[in-house]
Amino acid sequence: MIYNTGIIFSWISFSLLIFLFFNKKNLYTEILVRVNLFIQVFLFCLLEVGLFLNDFSLSYVANYSAESTPPLYKFASLWGSLDGSILLWNLCLSLFMYFYLKLYKDPSSNIDIKIFTLIMIFFVGYTVFSSSPFAGCIELATIGCSASTILPFAELVTSNIGRGPNPLLQNHPLMAIHPPMLYIGYVGMTMPFVAATSRLYSRKDKSNSWIEVAEKTTYIPWLFLTIGITLGAAWSYEVLGWGGYWAWDPVENVSFIPWLLATAFLHSAKIQKTQNTLLNWNYILVGLMFLSTLFGTFITRSGVLISVHAFSNGNIGTYLLFGMLIFGLIFIAIGSKNIEYFSKSKKIDNWFGKSGFFVFNNIFLFSSALVIFIGTIFPLIYETLYSRQITVGRAYYDILVGPLLLILLGLMIFSVKLSIRNLNIQKWFNENVILINIALIVTIFTLFLLNNSYILIITASFSFLLIFTTVSNFYKSFRLTKGSSSYWTGQIAHLGIGIFALGIILNVSQSFSTEIELNSFQEFNFNNDTYFVYNTIEESLPEKNVLKLPISNSNQTKYTSLNIFKNSSQQAISSPAVFRSIINDIYITVKFINEDSYKLIVRNNYGVLIMWIGLLITSLSFFPRLRKNEV
Amino acid sequence: MKSKFITFLLIVIIISMPFISPSSESRLETWSKILLCPVCQGETIYDSPSEYADDMKSILKEQIDNGLTDSEINAFWVERYGERIITNPINNNIEILIVPLSVVLIFISIFIRKLYVEK
Repeated sequence: MIYNTGIIFSWISFSLLIFLFFNKKNLYTEILVRVNLFIQVFLFCLLEVGLFLNDFSLSYVANYSAESTPPLYKFASLWGSLDGSILLWNLCLSLFMYFYLKLYKDPSSNIDIKIFTLIMIFFVGYTVFSSSPFAGCIELATIGCSASTILPFAELVTSNIGRGPNPLLQNHPLMAIHPPMLYIGYVGMTMPFVAATSRLYSRKDKSNSWIEVAEKTTYIPWLFLTIGITLGAAWSYEVLGWGGYWAWDPVENVSFIPWLLATAFLHSAKIQKTQNTLLNWNYILVGLMFLSTLFGTFITRSGVLISVHAFSNGNIGTYLLFGMLIFGLIFIAIGSKNIEYFSKSKKIDNWFGKSGFFVFNNIFLFSSALVIFIGTIFPLIYETLYSRQITVGRAYYDILVGPLLLILLGLMIFSVKLSIRNLNIQKWFNENVILINIALIVTIFTLFLLNNSYILIITASFSFLLIFTTVSNFYKSFRLTKGSSSYWTGQIAHLGIGIFALGIILNVSQSFSTEIELNSFQEFNFNNDTYFVYNTIEESLPEKNVLKLPISNSNQTKYTSLNIFKNSSQQAISSPAVFRSIINDIYITVKFINEDSYKLIVRNNYGVLIMWIGLLITSLSFFPRLRKNEV
Repeated sequence: MKSKFITFLLIVIIISMPFISPSSESRLETWSKILLCPVCQGETIYDSPSEYADDMKSILKEQIDNGLTDSEINAFWVERYGERIITNPINNNIEILIVPLSVVLIFISIFIRKLYVEK
């Protein structure tokens, strides 16, 4: 039932989009976009119904859900694997298409809806022709389903039990929010792409309207991408039990690349709006932002790289490469059509004024994106060339990306008061000397007894100076409502980044860990506190067995646990007990349990809460935009 | 003038700080952050809680206690597991630094030339 309805409605959606693409009358456009949104919402709900009814005749439900899966994770199973996540992708895309039509549509032409429809056809086409989450099961595996069909009205077989989602995905509620946030960010990057290409395709006037729309439409996906990446890092920290939050894993990298490009674009668009320069550069950025999201999905879903995130191998790899080719060609064709317009871009003459700083910002942000991109694909290229495998790990990124991000942090300090004219560094120093002194004193006091290195000292001083200049600027002029809302958006985001940078440098330079072996009802000392270990508690839930080990210090009791998932071949997942404080977290994971003796990994993680606070502030940067309804 | 002098003084203090309390990372820590755990998904043996990583760590500890040089340790692991065991490819493949750096430099020079020189 669900199988037939789902597949038929996917087809209806597909044909409707084809009709929308070739439709010449404006009259139907809005209705069709609405109907399309309605169908996508319906398909989403339909698969959710399938998941909750445990309809194991659907191959997707049989393979990625189980009867025993708790409701929240059943709900989240929809985007737990490739086919379902494309369904969520389509839903987001049609939502954005609707909002684009309502808020940003070019009144003089219909070409933007056509480009949008083309992108939508591409993704809906995947569920129709290649692999659908509504595919019916025609051959059973021992658990779940091994073969499926995407043609309707086939004879289906129903498996008795489902395989259940990947254990990693059902261990923490954050899993239910992190992917949708990222998807909204990813999919949203379609809007600036559509805005730029369509407006430049049919540019009758010589205005800069495309950049305004592209900038407005970039902010929302940027915001969601920020939140999504933050939640992913938090999830990694809370669930994976390795004590870290960012591993420079290929999939993390490809979510970071669009973020860096979008951040660069949000800055350079400002320069174009006020000074009519960087036209071609902005166009390139908009295109790369969109293509990098496709590339990101390609890396995540095609299985070309090993990573925690690479859940499935499908034929989507080739499909996405094909899409990148098509949209890349459209992008280049429209760009070359406007070569004359781009050549009118003004040259920059004030390298130490606003535009100069923004250009440097773009250079460093883009270089970071480039370095990360090269690091991500380098193992692939290397293997093709030399048939040997190498790993590009943390050291590469620390050496190459670290300094670039540090320079960006330094540049942000000047963002508080940037006039168009060239900056007089002497004057700037005189005006800010008190803040500089305070920042240096605070740095000295904070770092006095810590493990010091120059990279730590420079980062900490920059962060403190950035925080103090931004805060004093808030104090001085926020109530006077000086400056545009986007200026204040930037200031809040910078403040957040400053706090975040402080947290991350403390974390990277100060954290340490140790392994402790002990028995039940024993205590151990760590970092000037005594921890007492009780006996394990066994808990049997429908989907997993949990071995909980209570640990308490002088104030509170927390549990670290080993989660052993049924129906899964994966090893047990160790959830940490985290004793939080603003400066450092004591992060305890159990390595193994043997009768009543345990081996614990005890970590002292500095600055994690500071990092989350910083990223939270950055995510709140949308508030000033609400004030003037500029979102 | 006075405040400028204070700034100068503070900068001197800050520059001397790494000498007062230097960073202390043991060789074992450094190396366990470099070696990849071959049975895990992209984790180093420092991060991984698996027993395999444990065994590797104890071999590594022995090597360091015996005073093996960095290149000897490197050669030992590369011989057994191949180059992918080293997550810091800069040690073995210098091209990994040269490629991105040159691409970035080319990009920056084109960018600035476009914006500035070509008047």
